[in-house]
Amino acid sequence: MEQETQNSHDGSDLVAALIRRAGRRTDPPEAAYQQVLTAATAAFREKTAKRRGRKLMLWAAAASVAALAIALLLPWNTSSRNSQVATVARVIGTVELGDGDGWKPMTDSGGALVEGARLRTLPGASAALALDGGASLRLAAATEVQMDGARRMLLRSGTLYLDNAGNVGTGYRIETSVGTARDVGTQFELHVAGGALRLRVREGRVEIDRAGRLMTGSAGEQLDVDALGGVTRSSIGTADVAWQWAETIAPAPDIDGQPATALIAWVARETGRQLRYQSAAVESRAAAVILHGNIEHLAPLAALDVMLATTDLEYTLLDDDTMEIRTRTEL
Amino acid sequence: MADMVHVDRAVARRILAGDEAAFRELFDRFFPRLYRFALARLNRDQEIARDVVQQTFCNAIERLDSYRGEAALYTWFCQICRNVITDHYRRRQRGAEREVLLEDQPNVRAILEALAAPADDEPDTGVWRQQIHRVVEATLDALPGHYGEVLEWKYLDGQSVIEIARRLELGPKAAESMLTRAREAFRIAITDLAGASDELTGSLGSNRG
Repeated sequence: MEQETQNSHDGSDLVAALIRRAGRRTDPPEAAYQQVLTAATAAFREKTAKRRGRKLMLWAAAASVAALAIALLLPWNTSSRNSQVATVARVIGTVELGDGDGWKPMTDSGGALVEGARLRTLPGASAALALDGGASLRLAAATEVQMDGARRMLLRSGTLYLDNAGNVGTGYRIETSVGTARDVGTQFELHVAGGALRLRVREGRVEIDRAGRLMTGSAGEQLDVDALGGVTRSSIGTADVAWQWAETIAPAPDIDGQPATALIAWVARETGRQLRYQSAAVESRAAAVILHGNIEHLAPLAALDVMLATTDLEYTLLDDDTMEIRTRTEL
Repeated sequence: MADMVHVDRAVARRILAGDEAAFRELFDRFFPRLYRFALARLNRDQEIARDVVQQTFCNAIERLDSYRGEAALYTWFCQICRNVITDHYRRRQRGAEREVLLEDQPNVRAILEALAAPADDEPDTGVWRQQIHRVVEATLDALPGHYGEVLEWKYLDGQSVIEIARRLELGPKAAESMLTRAREAFRIAITDLAGASDELTGSLGSNRG
């Protein structure tokens, strides 16, 4: 078994002597290993996320060609398939659309986004999209996304917030270089940077698939996934100040001619608060109040302040993240 | 050699398909070698070596689609590392100070790259005229598979074939066979390199004596 030690004078001695004389090879410092691993892992995930994005686009292109071929072959003329996936609902600051290899400014809201559209917000800017699947998507500053479908998108960098409450569809799929998030009827925020991912769940549940490993975040939870896959869980309140950016860019509903209850419900949801009426009579009163005007460009609580000022209703924000509606005491 | 390059192509494909385990395996296999490779060419500056290797991995991953298996994957990484080092010196305008290693001379490179064909590495160390250590280190790094580790375990750690077999999850006979092949590969490589350098030949001569 240990014959090699006996093989002297045939070159083994030379090998042993040289290796012993040279000593052990230099080991890289652990800190260098960790730093390079983190960066390389991020590059790997970015690369594979990009390739997945390209494959989805190719698949979409192939599907479009197939659909066109079928349309040409059919004896009857069907209406062309609309590849629109979202509408830009609101923009604050400078938001740009991908244009070939470059970018061009997007100056107006209301524009349609089609499959494959790329969108980015510059520092200080934010945007809200109405997804054709029914959800509201919001992009924080310095964020880049690619719309891969009506319910699929690629978050390249930055922070997004998705509100898919009440939608019982198949959910939305958000790919990142770190992992893929799937919502289960919820409000959540996803942030990706430097190979790390942060998930904040405000309502419902979100699943993260990171290289085949499934993690679930529930309402009130924050998951920080580092570049090496380590997960740290912490809690975050539904009315935490961290959600404020998403409230600020929230597209205001058209409340003209609507009962006050509609506005109140929207504000409670946008601010992550449980809604409570002081009494059934107060709720009936709110339902009977019909609002007029618009709240465009107003943040939810500011909109509520403005609209309720003309009524006998008022709201109170309680410590338990509840919003209570009551009638004005002085009236 | 062709089989090993075929394996390297398969590894590249797995990584591009998003196989994180394959990526991590490659990283752990290449990182120490690339680090030594860079360190030797950067005047032993650890911080710069770290940054250069980091950039090497990022560049290599970004361009991995273009790897066609013409050379061993490790050799391909080394070439990218060389380019990053060149860029580094160009940026710092220190071209005149750049260390030119014997391992970078065309004939010596050819030998080490031939060794690396399986998947392992290439040279790393420093001024070969003065430090046998560096040449042995580079040679060990250039050996394919686990050959370098096996030789170190045997001759530096004094491990038995049984212990080496356990470490590699191999049978004792397979481990012994690997050790024999590793020793032979090292002997041939170092002899070839000696032929490429009069100074080393002298050193080897004194060892033989």
